[in-house]
Amino acid sequence: MTAELTPLTKQPETGGATDRIGRPGFRIDVNTLVLAALCAVVLGLLFTMYVEAPTFFRVNNLINILVQASIVGILAIGLSFVLIGGGIDLSMPATLALSGVIGAICMRDMQSAWIGPVVMLTAGTAIGAFNGYAVAYLRMAPFVVTLATMTVAGGAAVWITGSQSISDYPLEFEDFFLFRFLRLPLSVWLFAACALIAAFLLNRTMFGRYIRAVGFNPAAASISRVPVSRVLCLTYVIAGFLASLTAILLIARLGSASASLASDSLLLDIISACVIGRVSIYGGVGNPLQAALGAVAVTLISNSLNQLGVSYFASLVIKGGIIVLFVYLDRFVRRSA
Amino acid sequence: MNALPRLQMSSVAKRFGPVVALTDGNLTLHAGEVHALMGANGAGKSTLMNILGGVISKDTGKVVIDGAPVELNGSAHAAAMGIAFVHQELTTMPTLTVAENMFLEDYPKRGPFIARRRMIAEAAALLARVGCQIDPLALVETLSTGDRQLVEIARAIRKAPKIIIFDEPTSSLSGPEREKLFGVIETLRANGAAIVFISHFLDEVFRISDRITVMRNGCTVGMWAKTETSTAEVVENMLGSVAATDRVREPFVSGSAPFLVAREVTSGPLIDGVNLTMRPGEIVGLWGLLGSGRTELVRALMGLDPLSAGRIEVAGDDGVLRETAPAALRQRTGLVTEDRRKEGVILPFSIAQNIGLPNLAQLSNAFGIIDARKERALATRLASELGVKAVSVDQTAGTLSGGNQQKVVFSKWLPMKPRLFILDEPTRGLDTGAKGEILKLTVRLAEEGASVLFISSELEELMRVADRYMVINRGRITHELPGSASHDALMASVSDERSMQGAA
Repeated sequence: MTAELTPLTKQPETGGATDRIGRPGFRIDVNTLVLAALCAVVLGLLFTMYVEAPTFFRVNNLINILVQASIVGILAIGLSFVLIGGGIDLSMPATLALSGVIGAICMRDMQSAWIGPVVMLTAGTAIGAFNGYAVAYLRMAPFVVTLATMTVAGGAAVWITGSQSISDYPLEFEDFFLFRFLRLPLSVWLFAACALIAAFLLNRTMFGRYIRAVGFNPAAASISRVPVSRVLCLTYVIAGFLASLTAILLIARLGSASASLASDSLLLDIISACVIGRVSIYGGVGNPLQAALGAVAVTLISNSLNQLGVSYFASLVIKGGIIVLFVYLDRFVRRSA
Repeated sequence: MNALPRLQMSSVAKRFGPVVALTDGNLTLHAGEVHALMGANGAGKSTLMNILGGVISKDTGKVVIDGAPVELNGSAHAAAMGIAFVHQELTTMPTLTVAENMFLEDYPKRGPFIARRRMIAEAAALLARVGCQIDPLALVETLSTGDRQLVEIARAIRKAPKIIIFDEPTSSLSGPEREKLFGVIETLRANGAAIVFISHFLDEVFRISDRITVMRNGCTVGMWAKTETSTAEVVENMLGSVAATDRVREPFVSGSAPFLVAREVTSGPLIDGVNLTMRPGEIVGLWGLLGSGRTELVRALMGLDPLSAGRIEVAGDDGVLRETAPAALRQRTGLVTEDRRKEGVILPFSIAQNIGLPNLAQLSNAFGIIDARKERALATRLASELGVKAVSVDQTAGTLSGGNQQKVVFSKWLPMKPRLFILDEPTRGLDTGAKGEILKLTVRLAEEGASVLFISSELEELMRVADRYMVINRGRITHELPGSASHDALMASVSDERSMQGAA
C-alpha cells in the first residue's frame, strides 16, 4: 500500500541532458529554459563587447579564450565524472598545482623533458586514487575528504617550492606542448579529444552506465551487481588524472611552475562550468560535452568582464551569482516537473 | 464498563488520492484500560492512529471524546485534547539533553530565556513517574534505546493525557527494557489513562492488554476482551480466512541434493541459530508475522548484515557443498525485494537499461562498449515474455506501475539463470492480477530448476506457491510444515505456545 502512495517524484532527477525520466514534454521545457538563460547571458555579453571593446573579436583573442577554456574545460570534464557518480571533488586545482610542481622539480633536477609529464600524471592519478579510496572504500564523505586533500596538496605545493617558481627545466617540454595544428595549440585539441572520449565513455560503455547507476541509486546498483566501490573510486582517479593533464598544459603555456598555478577562482570556474553544463550535483545526470560548453561559457564571461575593466573581485561576485542562478533554475524546474 | 467511553471512533474513512487507506475504522476506549490494536501491514492501524493523533485529517466518520464530538485539527490540537502519541521511530534529538528534549515544543520561560532550573526539576519529576532515574542533563545520544523510549513516554505524559497511543513501542527493546516499559504502562493505566497499544507480538498483547481490536484491509473486523478470545482467533481475524485458493502448482517434493544449506545462522539481535536447506526446483515459503525476522534473515543470508555465528554452504557446479561467504552468495542470487523503487529498479533508467545493468558484461564487446541493439533486443524479448506493459523498452522505469516495475526486476535476473532466488514480499502493493502473474513467474523459475525462497506476509498468497514452509518466530525457525499443510495448521504455527516464546 505505502509503495503505491509514493508518487513518481520521489527522486528529484527529472529532466536532464540525455534520456531521462519524466513525461517527455517536460524535458524539452527544462532544457529550453536553461539554454535560453545561458544564451541570453552570453549574447548580452557578446553584444556589450561588440560595442565596448571590438578587439575582443580578433582571431588571436578568440584563440586565447579557447586556450583558457581548455584548462577549465578539461578539469570540468574530470569533475563531471565525479558529479555524475554522485560525489564532489574540491581538490582538483590543488592536485593540479602539486602534481605540476613535483613534475617540474623532477624535470629540473634530472634535466630531462619527458620525465615531467610522466611524473605529473602519476602524481595526479595517485592523489585521485587516494580520494577515491577514502570515499569509496572507507566510506568517508567526499566533501570533507577532497576538502582535506585540497588543503594538504595546496599546502604541500607551497612548502616544497618555497613559494618560488620553477622554470629552469629543459625547453623541449614547452616546445612540444605549445605545438600548434591549424593555428590551434595542442591544449585545445586535447580539450576536444577529452570531451569526446568522456562523452563516449559515459554514454556508450559499461563503465559509463555503471557511473550513472551508482550516481542515481547506489543501493539498487549494488543489488544489480554493479561494483559500486570500484566505480566510485575510478571517478576520482579520472578526475586526478585530468587535473594533472591540465597541469602539463598550464605549465607549458605559462613557462614556469609554481604553487600558485591554480588561481583562487579556478575551483569556482570548474564547478560553474559543470553547473552551467547541467551536470547534476545530485548525481546520475550530465553530459561532459555540455560541461565542456559550460567551460567555454565561463571563460567567455571571465575574459569579457576582464576586458571591460571589471575588477577581478567584482567578476567573482558576478560568477558566483551566475552559479546560484543556474542551480536555482535547476531546482525550480525540477520541482515543477 | 458501562460508563461513557473515553473515546469512540466510528466509521472513520480516509483515502490518499486513489488509494483507500481506511474504509471503516472503529475503536472504543475506556478509561483505565490497555487496548491492543492489531492488524497486518496495511490494515489501516497507522492511518487510524494518525487521525486520532491529529497527524492527518479524516475524510468521513466521527470521533467522540468523553461524549463530545471533536474535530482534530493538527497534532497540537490533539495534544490539547489530551491525546499523546508515542511514535514507533524515536523522535528525540540525540545531541540535546533529556530535559531539553522533553520540553522541546514549549520550554518553561522566564522572560525571553528558558527557565532551566524549573525545566530540569519538572523533567526529573516526569521521569520519576515513568520509573526511571536518568539524569535530566544527560545527552540523549548517551542513552540506550530503552531509556530513550522512556524519555519519549515521559515527554508524552507531560500534559497528563487522557489517551496515550503506543505505536510498536517494543520493536527495538531488549527483554529487561520491555519489562520496564510494561511496568510503566501498568502505572499509567492505574492512573486512569486509556492506552492504545500497537504491537505485532501476540505474547505481549495477551499479557498486558485488557481488550483487543483487530483491523484488516482498512476495516475494524472485531473487538474482544482478552479473556474471551485466543491467539488463534486473533490471528485468524488479522489475516482473514483463506477462500479455497487455487495453487499455481501442486506441492513439489524435490529429491535433488541440496543447493544451499545454512547452519546455525545468527545475526544481529534477532536472527538466532537458523538452519535452512534449499533444494533445486522447490519453493520454500518463509512464513512468519511482521517482526518475526523474515527480512533480517534475508539480509543475513545475503551479507547485507554480518553473521555473528553460523555458516552457509552452497553447491558448486559439481554439486559439492562448500562454505560460501554471504556476499559471494549474493553475487549468485536473483534478489527481488519489496522495495522495488529503492532497491529494484533505477527509476530514471529505461526498461532496457535496467534489464541490461547486471548483464552488461554479456552485452558489451571486449572494450566495454555496450551493444545497444543487443541490449534492446534482450529487453524486448524478456519484457514480452514476462508481459511488461510499456510503450517500448525505452520507457523509463519510473513511469511504470508497481507490477511492471517488479517484472522488470525479475527480467534482469533471468539472462544469468541464477540457481537461487530470494523473493522478499515481491507482490507487496500490487493488484490482484499483477500478483497472480508474479506468482506464476515464481513457479516458472522453480520449474526451470532454481531454488526459490519466497517470503510473504499474506498467507493465502504463500499457500498458492510454497512446496514447503519454514515458520519463523522471533528470529528462530520454530516449525517446518509440508506443502500440503492446511491453513489452520499454518495459522496455529505462528500463534501457538512454542512460537510465541520463540526467542524469549
